[in-house]
Amino acid sequence: MNFSNIIILLTAFLLTLLFIPVLRKAAVYFGLVDKPGQRKIHIKPIPLVGGLGIYFAVTLTLAFIWPVHAIILNFKNPFIATTILLIMGVIDDRFDLNALLKLSVQLLLAHYTFMQGIKIESLHGLFGIFDLSGDFQYILTIIIIAGVTNAFNLMDGIDGLAGGIGITGFGIFSYLAVLTNQTQLLLIFIALTGALLAFLYFNLSQKQKIFMGDAGSMMIGYILVVSGINLLQNAGTSGDLSIAAAIVVSVLMIPVYDAIRVFKGRMKKGKSPFFADKSHLHHLLLSLGFSHRSITINILILMFSLIVIGYFFLMKNGITWSFFVTIIILIITTNLLQYFQKLNLWKSRIKKMEIHSGQF
Amino acid sequence: MSKIKKIAIIGTVGVPANYGGFETLAEQLIEELGQHHHITVYCSGKKYPKKDRKQIYKGAELKYLPLDANGIQSIPYDTLSIIHSLFYADVLLILGVAGAWILPFVRWFTNKKIIISIDGIEWKRDKWNFLAKWYLFWAESLAVKYSHIDISDNEAIQDYTAARYGSLSRIIEYGADHTMKVPLSEQTIKKYPFLNRPYAFKVCRIEPENNVHLILEAFASTDKMPLIVVGNWDKSQYGAALKKKYGSHPNIHILDPVYDQKKLDELRSNAALYMHGHSAGGTNPSLVEAMYLGLPVLANHVSYNRVTTENKALYFDSKDNLILHINNLYTAKLIKIGDEMKEIAQRRYTWSNIAKKYFLLIEEVLDTQRKSPVWAETSTVAYQKLLQKNLAHLKTN
Repeated sequence: MNFSNIIILLTAFLLTLLFIPVLRKAAVYFGLVDKPGQRKIHIKPIPLVGGLGIYFAVTLTLAFIWPVHAIILNFKNPFIATTILLIMGVIDDRFDLNALLKLSVQLLLAHYTFMQGIKIESLHGLFGIFDLSGDFQYILTIIIIAGVTNAFNLMDGIDGLAGGIGITGFGIFSYLAVLTNQTQLLLIFIALTGALLAFLYFNLSQKQKIFMGDAGSMMIGYILVVSGINLLQNAGTSGDLSIAAAIVVSVLMIPVYDAIRVFKGRMKKGKSPFFADKSHLHHLLLSLGFSHRSITINILILMFSLIVIGYFFLMKNGITWSFFVTIIILIITTNLLQYFQKLNLWKSRIKKMEIHSGQF
Repeated sequence: MSKIKKIAIIGTVGVPANYGGFETLAEQLIEELGQHHHITVYCSGKKYPKKDRKQIYKGAELKYLPLDANGIQSIPYDTLSIIHSLFYADVLLILGVAGAWILPFVRWFTNKKIIISIDGIEWKRDKWNFLAKWYLFWAESLAVKYSHIDISDNEAIQDYTAARYGSLSRIIEYGADHTMKVPLSEQTIKKYPFLNRPYAFKVCRIEPENNVHLILEAFASTDKMPLIVVGNWDKSQYGAALKKKYGSHPNIHILDPVYDQKKLDELRSNAALYMHGHSAGGTNPSLVEAMYLGLPVLANHVSYNRVTTENKALYFDSKDNLILHINNLYTAKLIKIGDEMKEIAQRRYTWSNIAKKYFLLIEEVLDTQRKSPVWAETSTVAYQKLLQKNLAHLKTN
């Protein structure tokens, strides 16, 4: 990592540290806070300003550090989409928007992104498929952008998790950007990493705790998936693209699979897929008595393991195998956890039955 | 009377019975069912050395497997027994869920009839590690879903299976009439002089779930009557610590396990009070035995014990509550409760009664294609239909 990269990391980090205390005060004034509720895990109202802090810090860092101000101009369109998403997220955090409305806006933004030329053009050999036809490119790109944005939003349920996955994701993307010589993307990833690190500091603190809010989690999810697609698009012919593709997929796999699993579970019970419950991966771990910190660490370890195992199978057997093996590991892990949660549930039910009366 | 059928009894240590509840049950079933059906019992070769093995016992055929019937080996033990029985048996009577993983295959590929006794809520017990709990939790679900009839030994367990699986479990408890009232001999009194005045008695495995610590603590703080506890004190740290702590207490007498049935009967049948601290498991054989001996019971308040004693015994839910009960005991009350316990046991917990229930289940299972659910028939009828027929009060959820 050269000197200017470190400057960018530090600038984004320090600016976030600077902005967030101010934003916290404003958030309390404007009611941009998460009030404790039945389904919520915390007790005091927490300002939802992580997303705003990261956005301002990263934008300023990229805009003012000479000579890279051109970055924002080069990525003008995704930047506009990010801004719209952020504004919608803030409104959602304050007033609770309808899930369908949010989804429509996400789909619109995904459509806009595609129209600006950021699209999935190839599966890089997954299932033996390479280049996709135009229609498929469109459908797949829209679904994946909206899907990941949403999935990341849903993943943000406990301290440190969304931030941790974001940092890991952008860290790994930075490495891929170096490998494929994409210096401008690299600078964006580094700035985001710095800002997320500062966010984590507040997110994990007791006294100045903040959340990133829907604004933050949707923004990070959107940037992750769009920059991941962009990274692959512009990697050109530098080396074997399937490696980069496999890594991008395994970075996004946990939030996406978890969202699909949870939606499926809710629909199976005859409920709306957006019906809020406690069935996400972090809820499963919470019900087993893990602390927030150890859940975050465990999920990150799982993420790393998937990337490493995926890479191993990629090298040995190709991208299709790599995909199947990692997804099967994920399925087995979540099934075991769900099973254990069920066992604990019955344990407490039986306890009640045993004690409350002889004839229940 | 139906034709003679071949029945395999799977999942016990074996017969002649020297061990626990299931083995005694198997032996009783041989005697009672053997007159009508051809019975095969699978026995653990580990517990019956070659020279002691019989091929035929009381008319039943015995098969030996070189595995333990309990612990982790119970999985292959039960599994192999089930596979072997598929070659000849009409009805598989499986006691315990350890081998249940294979039952889906038995159901899919054969016409064998399966009756399984799930034996309490085994997966919940503290003695298992988490892997064993996982397995047992899963095995129980297969046992209930893939058997033709499943048996609970207690109403409270039946309620649990109905809640978890939506199917109706049959209740068959244990018999107790193999126990006998034995008068105290002078020799015994000489050995244990404290038997001369009224005493409380408890026999159990020394485990936390049987609340031995709580009962000892309560009796240590009252001198109303001495307590005698028989159990395997030296097998666990828990037991050893309790033995050390209360071993020299004047009101508490700690005895090592008594394997001689007559000796045990002598000690317990003359007790003035039977203490039952079990908090898990369903119907406990030791409790129904005490009831059959006409002992007044002071039991842990959990549902299983209340159901077993038909809510007519005394129940405690804490140490203080227990001390209060002990201090408020008087002879007339004890005699009344003892009589009630005896009445219940003679009505419900005799082996001929238990075996008759098994006999009827075997008759029934031969005609059973699948299990009936616990849901009311009306649950499948649309609410509007019920409303039209003025039956809306029958709506279920």
